[in-house]
Amino acid sequence: MKHSFITPRPKRVISGELRLVLFFFIVTILMLVGAYAFLWYKTYDFAHERHSIAQKEASLQASIKEMQSQIKEIESEAKLAEQVTTDNTVMKESIRNLFDLVPENITLSRAELDAKSLILYGTTPNKDTYEYMLHAPLRSIFHRTYTSFYPIENGWYRFVSSNYLDEETIEEIQ
Amino acid sequence: MSRQTLYVIILSFVLLIAVIAFSFLMLIPKGKEYRSLRLESKKEIQQLELSQNRYDITYNRLKEVQSQNRHTITAFETTFNPERFEKLYKKEFQDLYLTEITASDTNGTFKVYEVNATSKITSPQSFYTFLENINKSDWIIGVNFPILFERDENMIRSSFTMKVHNTTPSSDEKKSEKN
Repeated sequence: MKHSFITPRPKRVISGELRLVLFFFIVTILMLVGAYAFLWYKTYDFAHERHSIAQKEASLQASIKEMQSQIKEIESEAKLAEQVTTDNTVMKESIRNLFDLVPENITLSRAELDAKSLILYGTTPNKDTYEYMLHAPLRSIFHRTYTSFYPIENGWYRFVSSNYLDEETIEEIQ
Repeated sequence: MSRQTLYVIILSFVLLIAVIAFSFLMLIPKGKEYRSLRLESKKEIQQLELSQNRYDITYNRLKEVQSQNRHTITAFETTFNPERFEKLYKKEFQDLYLTEITASDTNGTFKVYEVNATSKITSPQSFYTFLENINKSDWIIGVNFPILFERDENMIRSSFTMKVHNTTPSSDEKKSEKN
């Protein structure tokens, strides 16, 4: 004897509605955990990236410092080289000018050139020739000039001419 | 109210509490940390770009300075060779003798050599030529006072001091550094 018109369904602990609700709950939880995992990963990634950026930055700064020091060194070397070249050229011209001052009939036997003095040894046919042709231009260059004459057998004079520049002039030149 | 409905209500309540707790205790602080780190990272990337630009500018400047002063750099790095110097400049002087001075004014970047030279001709022209050529030489050499010229029959004896500027330590210095 039948008591129902429909076939009986098996009874379950979790009904279809409850399953649906549970499914949504699980999706919600997964989304939350997923968001948290994403944030955790990105935070970790940023921290890692920051560490790498800091290292790169430090390396770049060190390289920049090193290169700047190299530039400074090269510039100072170039300046020194230029100074040396100029000094050599100036010295050459000074010596050339000095020897150009010596007239034909005066013969030099020794010349001692220093930064602030010039000592010339030589022979002159007479004192006047020396006085007008060598001593006058030397006097216009140097502050103090002293000359000693020694007569020699042929009637000529051996002379020693000591010429000095004052300290202030040397400082001005330098 | 059926038992199933009661389960749903209890579960929903538990989930709500769990979601709120999870959000406030973990998700929001992590989000804040993420946002602040993203901002800092952006700033650091901008700073790195600036540094990279500075690096590029400095690098280009260095290369430019190096190419402009190639000869000077090489000259400073070339170790002074007295034998080669004598060989190169003997054509301007009949005899050329170099004597190294242990000078007290050496500041570590250059060495001081004393040159004793005897020139062949009667005018100091060879000395001028020497001064011209020395500026084009492989070393940075400055001729210094005192300079002495002395007649010796048909020749002029000359004696002068010169400073050889060198950044490379000499072999003796290298040896002492090793020890």
